[in-house]
Amino acid sequence: MTTTAPLGAEERTDPATGPADGRRAVLRRIRPGNGFVFVLPFLLVFGLFMVWPIVQGLWMSFTDSSLALRDTGFVGFDNYTEAFGDPDVWSSLGNTLFFTAISSVPLVLVALAMALLVHSGLAGQWAWRLAFFAPYLLPVTVVTLIWTWLYQPELGLGNQLLDSFGMAPVGWLSDESVAMWSIAALTVWWTVGFNFLLYLAALQSLPTTFDEAAALDGAGAWRRLWSITLPQLRRTTGLVAMLQILASLKVFDQIYILTKGGPNGSTRPVLEYVYDVGFTGYRLGYASAVSYLFFALIIVVSLVQFRLFRRED
Amino acid sequence: MSSRSPLQGVPAVSDPLRRLSRRRLLRHAMAGTGALLAAGPLSGCASPASASGASALSVWDLFQGGDGMLMDEMIDAVSKGDDGFDVDRTILDWGPSYYTKLAMSAAGGRASDVAAMHLSRLAGYAPGGLVDPVDLDLLAEFGVTEKDFTPAVWSRTRHEGTVYAVPLDVHPFIVFYDKKAAEKAGLLDSSGALAPMGSPEALLEAGKALAEATGQSGILFGHVTDTAQNWRLFAGLYAQTGADFDLPDGGPARIDVDAAVRVVTLMTRLFDGKTNPNNLDYNGALAAFTGGRGGMAMLGEWELPTLKESGIDLGAAPFPQVFDKPAVYTDSHSFVLPHQEDPDPARRREAHRYIAAVLKQSLTWASAGHIPAYQPVLAEPEYAALEPQSSYADAAKVAVLDPPNWFVGAGSNFQNRMCQPLQSALLGNTSPEKAVRQMVREADALLQQPNPVA
Repeated sequence: MTTTAPLGAEERTDPATGPADGRRAVLRRIRPGNGFVFVLPFLLVFGLFMVWPIVQGLWMSFTDSSLALRDTGFVGFDNYTEAFGDPDVWSSLGNTLFFTAISSVPLVLVALAMALLVHSGLAGQWAWRLAFFAPYLLPVTVVTLIWTWLYQPELGLGNQLLDSFGMAPVGWLSDESVAMWSIAALTVWWTVGFNFLLYLAALQSLPTTFDEAAALDGAGAWRRLWSITLPQLRRTTGLVAMLQILASLKVFDQIYILTKGGPNGSTRPVLEYVYDVGFTGYRLGYASAVSYLFFALIIVVSLVQFRLFRRED
Repeated sequence: MSSRSPLQGVPAVSDPLRRLSRRRLLRHAMAGTGALLAAGPLSGCASPASASGASALSVWDLFQGGDGMLMDEMIDAVSKGDDGFDVDRTILDWGPSYYTKLAMSAAGGRASDVAAMHLSRLAGYAPGGLVDPVDLDLLAEFGVTEKDFTPAVWSRTRHEGTVYAVPLDVHPFIVFYDKKAAEKAGLLDSSGALAPMGSPEALLEAGKALAEATGQSGILFGHVTDTAQNWRLFAGLYAQTGADFDLPDGGPARIDVDAAVRVVTLMTRLFDGKTNPNNLDYNGALAAFTGGRGGMAMLGEWELPTLKESGIDLGAAPFPQVFDKPAVYTDSHSFVLPHQEDPDPARRREAHRYIAAVLKQSLTWASAGHIPAYQPVLAEPEYAALEPQSSYADAAKVAVLDPPNWFVGAGSNFQNRMCQPLQSALLGNTSPEKAVRQMVREADALLQQPNPVA
């Protein structure tokens, strides 16, 4: 890139010109080319385990590559044509989007509410922080184990509670219209702590001067929240929402362990379909094509968000 | 980097010693990384030999928990003596992941010498050459022949006339019952065993009578969010109707829709949510049965060790025949020879000898509840003394496995996809007719996919 210019500069440097020039020369020595060696290990790993699989996956999506066979043939756009006509692709994609919608909104709002509560100087702060953040530390298997029993139709806490209020039991994981909401509830409980932490950090770094000035002018707590705190949190909200939507789109593990995509495919996210087709069905080529379609969707979502985000700024 | 930098005067950066050492450090780090990368695959090759001697027979299986300990016992037994085996056993998590790994290792041509496989999965492995044929002459030399197995099971070891598997056991879907409750409900014969049912109505009546006897539930069945239970129940009952369930390559699936609807209707009537709960998951049903909150449970025989511990007066029987033909849904753990690119004949010979030797240890295996596939063991008085194992041993004669195709079998996506509409029907979310139509649609969709293993 800029190799010639600094070299020229070095050649012109006179060793006798004193410390100031020397320092400038030191700075000049930190050129893009010099740091490369230090970044190389990372680039190697990144290339080997990220870039190469991505390229390989794209290639595979144009073949009938199978997990169980060595021979593969080029099939052109066949996999993509099949994917576009495959109702399971569309239904699982719909499930993923539905999950993203019903989980992201509470994950942002609940996290904000929690952070505001803790920040407002509630007694026993450390206990609240721990309670809100602790579930996030649990591994997915533990979380699903706990919630399997909560959602258990006969013995579970959920239906026992409903029963004690004289209400009919709910098929938490067996009713097609309820199961995804149950999974969203679990996910909110499990992961809201991370967003809560981001909000809390943002709240603690806000300058207090505006708030104090408004309070002196006689603005009430709600007024200050709406007109001062929330607008100042805009950037954080944008960040949290973006991270959350991307995380929700990637939903897989808790659903796979909890319902295997059931009942009747109503909770099967598109990533599980990719897994089913690719690993239990051995059809790697087709699975790659489906995942590339999903990849395209994620890029579109990210671009849209990026635009919205920028406009906010 | 410019070694002839004019900045010799700035020690922090250009002290030659430092730079040298920094560079040397880097070089060493790179070499170290390279060595690590290179050593990975090499040590991967070397480990089996160095861990347990070059002659160790590598064996893959999916037996965990109680089954795993019994398999250890059997391997110990065949490892004794001068001609004992040196076995390098690898236990992998059962389910889809096991079959993925098995297929990958065989596709790579460097698989284990022997592996366990559900017989229902063979149709996904034999056609593509992922498993190698069994040498029957060699097996006979070590005292095991076709005659030692029931035809119902042996017929499933073949693909296009060649034998690819040797069955170790048969594990049917059966019923366990509380003897006291069953007696109270009048379901036992004079010898104290479950009397034949003979009709769908008799099964429904039995459910009601058991519910009365226990004061709670009659027949328990856990199927909610389970990926196989509904299919096991359906497939067994459907086979009893005598109708065919065929999955010919390319489709369409040959399914007798009327018979299937009759079966699903019976299932929904049996689990109507009154005398028999329709909303249990697997563990819930198990817990309810062991807690004495039901008179009978429809389960796999592999639950025997768990149920024995519960302290209930336990009876077991093959799945009751309620339609025209006796049939019991079954699968079978069997031994296969995963494909090897360049098998060593001496090792192959050892593999056959090993399989024969382990089969002869089947009595140990039977103690967990499995029916030994190796028939000479069933004739031994020690087996007859095993209660309640011997009371459902006949299930092996009317064993019905999944219809063969690459995508079916234990832990397969097919079973999961069949279970989903069945679950909806049992929960009352859809009608038996609609559920069956969806099953046919799902089967057709799978049949239309290109076969990735052949």
